[in-house]
Formats: sequence, C-alpha cells, structure tokens
Amino acid sequence: MRPHRIPPQILRLILLTLAIVGVYSVARYFLTPASFGRYGWYRAAALGEIAAYPPDYAGKAACAQCHKDKAEQIAKGPHKALSCESCHGPGMAHVGNPDVKLVKPAAPLCLRCHEANPSRPEWLKQVTLADHYGENCLECHVPHQPNEAP
Amino acid sequence: MIIELLTALPSAAPHIEGYVYPNEQTLLWSVLIVIYPYITGLVAGAFILASLVRVFRVSELEPAYRLSLLTALAFLLVAPLPLLFHLGHPERCYEPVITPHLSSPMAMFGFVYAWYIMAVLLLELWFDYRKDLVEWSKKERGVRAWIYRLLTVGVHDVSEPALQLDARMAKAITIIGIPSAFLLHGYVGFIFGSIKANPWWGNPLMPIIFIFSAVVSGIALCVFIYLILNRLRGLPQDIDCLDAMGKFLFLALVIDASLEALDWVHRLYAAEESIHVLKSLAAGKLFYSLLVVQVCMGTFVPLVLLGSIQLFRKRIAEGVRRWTYFGCSVLILVGVLAMRWNVVIGGQLFSKSLRGFTAYKFELAGQEGWLVALFLLLLPFLILAVFIRYFLPLKTDAGVHPLTELPDHKAV
Ligand code: HEC
Ligand code: HEC
Ligand code: HEC
Ligand code: HEC
Repeated sequence: MRPHRIPPQILRLILLTLAIVGVYSVARYFLTPASFGRYGWYRAAALGEIAAYPPDYAGKAACAQCHKDKAEQIAKGPHKALSCESCHGPGMAHVGNPDVKLVKPAAPLCLRCHEANPSRPEWLKQVTLADHYGENCLECHVPHQPNEAP
Repeated sequence: MIIELLTALPSAAPHIEGYVYPNEQTLLWSVLIVIYPYITGLVAGAFILASLVRVFRVSELEPAYRLSLLTALAFLLVAPLPLLFHLGHPERCYEPVITPHLSSPMAMFGFVYAWYIMAVLLLELWFDYRKDLVEWSKKERGVRAWIYRLLTVGVHDVSEPALQLDARMAKAITIIGIPSAFLLHGYVGFIFGSIKANPWWGNPLMPIIFIFSAVVSGIALCVFIYLILNRLRGLPQDIDCLDAMGKFLFLALVIDASLEALDWVHRLYAAEESIHVLKSLAAGKLFYSLLVVQVCMGTFVPLVLLGSIQLFRKRIAEGVRRWTYFGCSVLILVGVLAMRWNVVIGGQLFSKSLRGFTAYKFELAGQEGWLVALFLLLLPFLILAVFIRYFLPLKTDAGVHPLTELPDHKAV
C-alpha cells in the first residue's frame, strides 16, 4: 500500500462532487437564456416580448375620434384630467369593433375615488356615503361633468 | 378583475375592518408558506437531536440516532414542495438556481437547501450506513440488493481503518452540520425578520426564535415517531432514551419560551407605534392560535409537565412518563405549527397603515387549500415509512451502535 493513497470513500466523494458541479455547470450553460444579463440581472429578450403584447388600452384620443361630444363635455368639468378608460375599463377591443360593449359604471365606481378615506390627498373631494345626499350618484351628477345635474 | 374594480363597492368587502391598503386586502402568503417553515424546522430540529449523539456523545439517545436522521431526510425531501405548490409557475423553479441573484435570500434557498441535503444529511447518513449497505447488498436479493448496491456508490471497503475513517468523517460532517442546520432554519427566520416594513416580522430576534422553535419541534417529532414506531413494531420503549429526549426537549423549550417572552416584553415595553395594532391582533384575530394554542397548550402546559418530570423523575412511574412525553410531543408539534401560522398569516392580517385588519379565507380544496396542506404534512411520514422499511430493519435496530465510544470503537 502506498502511503498517500486516497481512501476509496473519499475518492468516490470527490468524483461525485466533481460530477455534481459538472452537471450544474453544463445545465447552467444550456439553461441560461441567451439574452440573460445583457442589460441587468434579467432576460433582455423579455423587454421585446412584453412590448409585443397587444395593448388593452386605447387612450383618450382614440375615444374622442368617435365620441367627440363626450370628450368635449368632460373637458369642461372637474373630471377633465381623467382618462375615459379609468371609468369604462380597457377599450382597445371596443375601438376596433364598437359592437364590443364597454361598462357603463354606476355608484360603486364613483366611491372608488370619492369615498372618504384619510389616505387620500385633501384636494380630492370626498364624501361619506351615509352623510351625502343619496346612494345613486348619477341621479344628481352627470358623470362626465359632475358639477352639473342631469 | 378590472370590471370587478369598476362595479364592486369598495366598502362592500366584508372581511375588512378599518383601513387596509388595496394590495393588502388578500393575503399572498397562504397556508403553504406556513407549512414550509414548519417542515424545515422539523428537519433542523431532528438533525440537532441526532448530532447530540455524534458530537456530544449523549449515549442514551443512540436508539433514536438513525431514526432522527432518517426523519430529517424524509421531511427535508418534502420541504421544497409547499413552495413549488405555491408558485404560480412551478416549472420555472430551476431558474433562480441557474441564474442566482446573490442579494435575494429567496434565490439563495436552492443553495442552502442543496448544501444541507447533499453535503450534510446524505453524507452523514452515507458514512453512518456504509458498512450496513455493503453487508445488506451481499445478503439481500432482487431489487433491495440493487438499491443497497447503488447506495454504496461502488465502495465495498469495510476494513477496520476504513470504518474508522467513516466514523471520523461522520463526526466532522456533524460538526459542520450543526451550523448548517442553524443556517437552514435561520435563513427561514431571516426571510421574515429582514422585512423591516412589517413590525410583526422585522426583528433581528426572528432567526433565533425560529431556530429554537425548530429544535423544540424537531425533538418533539422524534419523540413522537420513536414512541409510535416502537409501538407498531411491538418493541419495548427505551425509557432512558425517552428521558434523555425529554430532558433536551425541556431545555430547548425553556430557551424557546424565554426568547419569545423576551420578544414580547421588549415589544410591549418599547411600545413603538405599531404596538396597538399588534396587541389587538394578538387579542383578536390570533387569540386562539396565539394565546390558546401556541402559548398555553403548546408552551406552558408542556413546560409544566416536562419540568415536573425533570424534578420528580424518580417518583413518576415509567408508564406515566411515557404518556407525558407522548402528550407533550403532540402538544408541542401543534403549538409550533400554530407559531408558524401566527407569524406567517398574522403578519399579513394587519395593514401597514396600522389602522385596519383583513381576513384570511382558507379554502378547502384548491391549489393552496386545507387538503393540499394536509397532504404535504402527511407525505413525509409516508416517505419515512419507506425509509424505515429499507434502512431500519428490526434486527439491527435493537443492536448496539456505540457511536459514543468513538473514535476508539471496535465494530460499528
Ligand atoms: C370607431 C369609433 C369608436 C371609438 C374609437 C370608440 N367608440 Fe365607443 N362607441 C362607438 C359606437 C358606434 C357606440 C354605440 C354602440 C351601440 O350603441 O351599440 C359606442 C358606444 C360606447 C359606449 C356605450 C356603451 C353602451 O353600452 O351603451 C361607451 C361607454 C363607449 N362607447 C366608450 C368608448 C370609449 C371609452 C372609447 C375609447 C377607448 C370608445 N368608446 C371609442 C364607437 C366608438
Ligand atoms: C368619471 C368616470 C367617467 C369618465 C372619466 C368617462 N365616463 Fe363615460 N360614462 C360614465 C358613466 C358613469 C356613464 C353611464 C351614464 C349613465 O348610465 O347614464 C358613462 C356613459 C358613457 C357613454 C354612454 C352614453 C351615455 O351618455 O349614456 C359614452 C359613449 C361614454 N360614457 C363615453 C365616454 C368617453 C368617450 C369618455 C372619455 C372622454 C368618458 N366616457 C369618460 C363615466 C365616465
Ligand atoms: C378615477 C377617479 C374618479 C372617479 C371614478 C370619479 N371621480 Fe369625480 N373626481 C375625480 C377627480 C380627480 C376630480 C377633480 C378633483 C376634485 O375636484 O375633487 C373629481 C371631481 C368630482 C366632482 C367635483 C367636485 C368639486 O366640487 O370640484 C364631483 C361632483 C365628482 N367628481 C363626482 C363624481 C361622480 C358622481 C363619479 C361617478 C360617476 C365620479 N366623480 C367618479 C376623480 C374621480
Ligand atoms: C340627491 C342628489 C345627490 C346624490 C344622489 C349624490 N350627490 Fe354628490 N352632491 C350633491 C350636491 C347638491 C353637491 C354639492 C353641494 C355639497 O357639497 O353639499 C354634491 C357634491 C358632491 C361632491 C363634492 C363635495 C365637495 O366637498 O365639494 C362629491 C365628490 C360628490 N357629490 C360625490 C357624490 C357621489 C360619489 C355620489 C354617489 C355615492 C353622490 N355624490 C350622490 C348631490 C348629490
């Protein structure tokens, strides 16, 4: 027996460890996405893929092409800064085909923004439903021009 | 989703009290994230119990040595499953291992886990079992023989110097293993403790509390399994071993309970701005799971029972002690599960605005429901049953395994 023989258990372990590290390195080589790390710790190609998704929202300008009256009406009132789609939901499908109906929202929608809540900025007018004039907001407020009564 | 937002009354959410930010209304970490630290804790605790035999030479515990290592392995195999079930895309689970980000504790889990299972647990088991594996692979036939032969990894040397080397290696690995077990579970505590935005979690004591509750639950699990296994096999219960486990269980429980008490005393005395919401959380939504189950049944009762055994051991009959150990182990196992629940779920029940509560709706079926959780809790016992069948045969079980006489032992 030579004096510096590595015991068989230890030898096996070294081989096994090398094998595991080897498998990991090979797996890492093949499984790391090609564009990984080009800009940062993520897959650069993801940017393109996400940008290629069909958009859901069309934007106010698109709505104004067909609903000129509403766009002009809303521009007069305090809701002028709101996007149509923040009340009606994503409208791309409707722009492509007006037969696809959009929501005509009611009181719950108004309360999403106007219900009294200490975490809201003070400039946003808030009401407490129980203290206000009624539950059906649309009876007294025109949604597109809320300072006007219908 | 968007349509719901447009048409559902915001104040109509019945599970919300006070003010809760919109992104806090539904809990994201479900019961599976409760199960996950519970299971890793059991692993770490069972391993610590085994290392008492190897490193600290507590010879009374020898009959439970292999059992606790196998228990640790069975539970460790299941530990990542709750995470996998919880992930929306389980098929992507390898990605954080392939491109690990060093600043993400969650991405590091794969490495902590791999280190613990391969460099610690499997290695220690292998060195401990090598001689038996070689013998069994010669004695048994068929599939069994093949399994044993495969596990020898082609090393058949069972000469005296080789066995002594095995024993030395196993001991060295156990010594590395103790900090590794602490790392494995301390890491889980760190995940919570490092979330500084959440006053229920963000706390440097968290990893330490997690480690000690893990040790408590792991020893309790070994007591439980040891008692049940001997009962099933019709073997006599080794009361010395049980007494020793009971002693360590008591010690660990004392430390664990003091740490948690310290945590609360500190919180109450420091009375930071979050204390009001935390108090109402403990007295309200967590009343049963925290005060009743975790504190009273899972900590106080076992402390009193185990403590009286420490004081009056001589005067308490063996049978009574056995049943007390059994009862305490069950209480502690439930109590620590409740502790994980209180941490994980409790930390999400109150708003970061400190001004409101949401509720956790626990589903029965479904990807993250009761049934899946129950299945994941039972699965390790099934795996353990298989391990016991193959690696804890009746004959050698009762036989001597004088680990504590290392390194001058003759035949392991
Ligand atoms: C191509 C022209 C066109 C564009 C662009 C368009 N609409 Fe319309 N919209 C229509 C027509 C036509 C109707 C009437 C359909 C009907 O009554 O069946 C309609 C109806 C509606 C209705 C009422 C639905 C109902 O149930 O009565 C709403 C709300 C609406 N549009 C919102 C929008 C919004 C918001 C946008 C911008 C994202 C938009 N529209 C863009 C043509 C358009
Ligand atoms: C503050 C929320 C809000 C905004 C912003 C808003 N709408 Fe409306 N809109 C409503 C509500 C509420 C109704 C339903 C009125 C009803 O039922 O009488 C409605 C109804 C409509 C209708 C149906 C026709 C009608 O008069 O009943 C059209 C078309 C429409 N909106 C287009 C638009 C367009 C275009 C814009 C953007 C320029 C826009 N809306 C912005 C709340 C809004
Ligand atoms: C997306 C958020 C949003 C929604 C939804 C919304 N509002 Fe508004 N509203 C605003 C903002 C922003 C203003 C302008 C700031 C202000 O005056 O409070 C405003 C202004 C108003 C005002 C004028 C207050 C004043 O005296 O200046 C009234 C009235 C009003 N909204 C009523 C409604 C009603 C009724 C609805 C439901 C149809 C509604 N709002 C839905 C955001 C919203
Ligand atoms: C019965 C009629 C009526 C109904 C229904 C009603 N309002 Fe009003 N609202 C008013 C009048 C009138 C005012 C202006 C005078 C005032 O502020 O008292 C007003 C003012 C407001 C203001 C501005 C408050 C301010 O501080 O200036 C908001 C915002 C508002 N309403 C939202 C709502 C919402 C949201 C609803 C539905 C839940 C609603 N209103 C339902 C009559 C009504």
